[in-house]
Amino acid sequence: MTKKIIINPVTRISGFMEIQADIENNQVVDAKTEGLLFRGFEKMLQGRSPFDAVYFTQRICGICSTAHSIASTLALEDAMGVVPSEQGRYLRDILHGCEFLQNHIRHFYQYTIPDFVKLPEDYPLFKAEHSDFRLPKEKNNVLVKSYFHSLDISRSAHEMLAVLGGKAPHNHGVFIGGITTQATTDKIIKIKSILHNIYQFINDRMLSDVYTIAEYYSDYFYIGRGYGNFLSFGYFNGYKSLGTLYLNPLVYTDGKTSVLDPDNITEEIDYAWYTDRQSTDKPFEAAPGCMMNSEAQTNEQPEADMNKPQAYSWVKAPRYNNLPFETGPLARQWLSGEYRNGISTMDRTIARVLEARKIALIMNTLLQNLIPDVSMQKKYAIPEAAAGKGLIDTARGALGHWLKINKQVISFYRIITPSAWNLSTRSSNGVKGTAEQALMGTPVKDINNPVELGRTIRSFDPCISCATHIYTGGKHINTIQVIP
Amino acid sequence: MSNESIMCPEYKARLNTATSLVETVKMQLRQGVLRKRNLVWLELTGCSGNIISLLDGSNPDFKYLISEMTHFIYNNSLSASEGQNAMEQLFSVLGSDYILAVEGAVATKNNGLYNIIGRLNDKPLTAMEAVKSLGEKAAFVIAIGACATHGGVSAARPNPAECVGVQSLLNRKVINLPGCPCHPDWFMATLAHILLYGEPELDIRNRPLLFYSTLIHDRCPRRSYFDKGIFAEKLGDKTCMFKLGCRGPVTRIDCPIRQWNQYVNWPIEDDTPCIGCAQFGFPDAMEPFISYNTTREVKR
Repeated sequence: MTKKIIINPVTRISGFMEIQADIENNQVVDAKTEGLLFRGFEKMLQGRSPFDAVYFTQRICGICSTAHSIASTLALEDAMGVVPSEQGRYLRDILHGCEFLQNHIRHFYQYTIPDFVKLPEDYPLFKAEHSDFRLPKEKNNVLVKSYFHSLDISRSAHEMLAVLGGKAPHNHGVFIGGITTQATTDKIIKIKSILHNIYQFINDRMLSDVYTIAEYYSDYFYIGRGYGNFLSFGYFNGYKSLGTLYLNPLVYTDGKTSVLDPDNITEEIDYAWYTDRQSTDKPFEAAPGCMMNSEAQTNEQPEADMNKPQAYSWVKAPRYNNLPFETGPLARQWLSGEYRNGISTMDRTIARVLEARKIALIMNTLLQNLIPDVSMQKKYAIPEAAAGKGLIDTARGALGHWLKINKQVISFYRIITPSAWNLSTRSSNGVKGTAEQALMGTPVKDINNPVELGRTIRSFDPCISCATHIYTGGKHINTIQVIP
Repeated sequence: MSNESIMCPEYKARLNTATSLVETVKMQLRQGVLRKRNLVWLELTGCSGNIISLLDGSNPDFKYLISEMTHFIYNNSLSASEGQNAMEQLFSVLGSDYILAVEGAVATKNNGLYNIIGRLNDKPLTAMEAVKSLGEKAAFVIAIGACATHGGVSAARPNPAECVGVQSLLNRKVINLPGCPCHPDWFMATLAHILLYGEPELDIRNRPLLFYSTLIHDRCPRRSYFDKGIFAEKLGDKTCMFKLGCRGPVTRIDCPIRQWNQYVNWPIEDDTPCIGCAQFGFPDAMEPFISYNTTREVKR
């Protein structure tokens, strides 16, 4: 007999989400992930000053705001023909690195650990219902200590960000050309000192903590696989003198790695709460000539529609070559060849921790190559009409911003977030999103406390605040009729 | 008029810093004069950046908040429980004494269905319902950040989810802590004040005077450049950024003397204009955030 499990809220993620799963013989036979928050950033951005996108889009997400400042800045630079200096790129990537560390440390300790470690129950916040806590007392105690210790470390990652970024969340440092201020020696050494402490914590504590969990929950190496398709827009790559410190834009499917071509990206809305004349479209091609011609189409925005019968989420379905892809730390560790142990809930969790160490090392390299006191700001003029895209990997994976400027204001904005890739709804042909697929076959021991599902979903580090701001337009490439 | 009301707000702010308030709470808790109160932190339509900002607080920090100051009952980003159990934990405070903290705006479109925060008794629970049921019965309601206080970015034009601030839904006083995000000290010390002395002194828009009394412009370290008419022409310059669109002259908040993230920096020291994130009307009324000469002649 089929039993239905509904988990809502899925706590310890950013934003609001529901998991629905059908269970037969204690195994998941069908699953849906639903994003339950809608704001409509893409529509809000229309008519605003292009410069303001750098600050405005950060408000999409409180835990990964720097990511949006970077992607919007890249899109603006592309549209305006501004090439940042190498020093500007180093500094911007250092700021972004601070956020990777903040995000990965908080995700591992505050969002993931409570699934596996019994936290002290004299705190009401830590009351947990399931009983699948397997660590022996002494090891459990070590991880409880780490939970609290990590709070100081992740906070210091944001402190490091603020040294050059003004404040966090929602920094003021990232901007066209590089960063706003100059990296003076006192600031460089302050960042180096904080980074040193963070690196030590990752190396001495975080790595052994994740391997402790892996040892006692080794069945999670066989749960939560998904499709095994990986995608990255690349990061810490293509520096003039330093080359690629992490990875280039790549995709992996059917056992083969190839170079990413952004033209293969589409988004579908068949199972999301939107209606449009077509259900599949493509982020625009960045040729300004085409842009003006498609202006009329651009203005025909699909509407939010919660009455659409088969829809179940605010998250759309980004696809690459019409296939769902996973993006994030495991995708990057896999594509760069740094970690290829396997594809599972536990591998995803381990890859995030390994990546934290990698990012700290890359940041150190970039810091060593800084020249102090370099100014990189100019008086920028907004073009009358232009278009640009900013594709970059962020803590959770591949993030894309596409924008058009007309009459010196934003006329079009599209955002495809990492969590839209990972937590996507089904394709038009019914193919599940990556996380939905990862839930398939999961054994559920206690149907009243299905802790297994949340563990797998959290391994993707969902950010539903990011994934469900969508309100799209753009050039349509085919004509599939949807419910009017 | 009492002497107190004409006292220099900056002097007062120094007397009552967040740290000294919290130290008093600590002492009184230890002495048993004070009891811990229940705290619930709801996240609604927004970026969940205020809870992240809270984790960035120090002295008092998050650990101190949950160990020594309050029984922290529920938060979507941090609660160990999930699903129905988490919702039961959240609503367990009804009937007891509790303080409600809210971040995020309330989406009102489609009867609130644009933001579902959980499932209670097999039905989707909208943010709108949660705020109404928990808000009316709380001992204090604190709206944290721009979205909760006045809609903020979630209500930015054309406001697709029809978002409003918490006060619009409740027939009771809501203490407002605008800012994008809210500085952890603004929340911690407001809470400390409630625990120690009850409601803090508020302005006509229910913002604690302790933080929101004085314009950024009045305490800006670059004020002398403004007075002498020396203006920055681009970001990264070290002089007054008035002509780049700085909203310091209309924004009442203590950023210049408090600073952010372990007090290491703030937007103006980072050579960028204040974008008015702590002022009502942010973002629409504060844009454009960056322009290269706001005093240019307007071509007609």
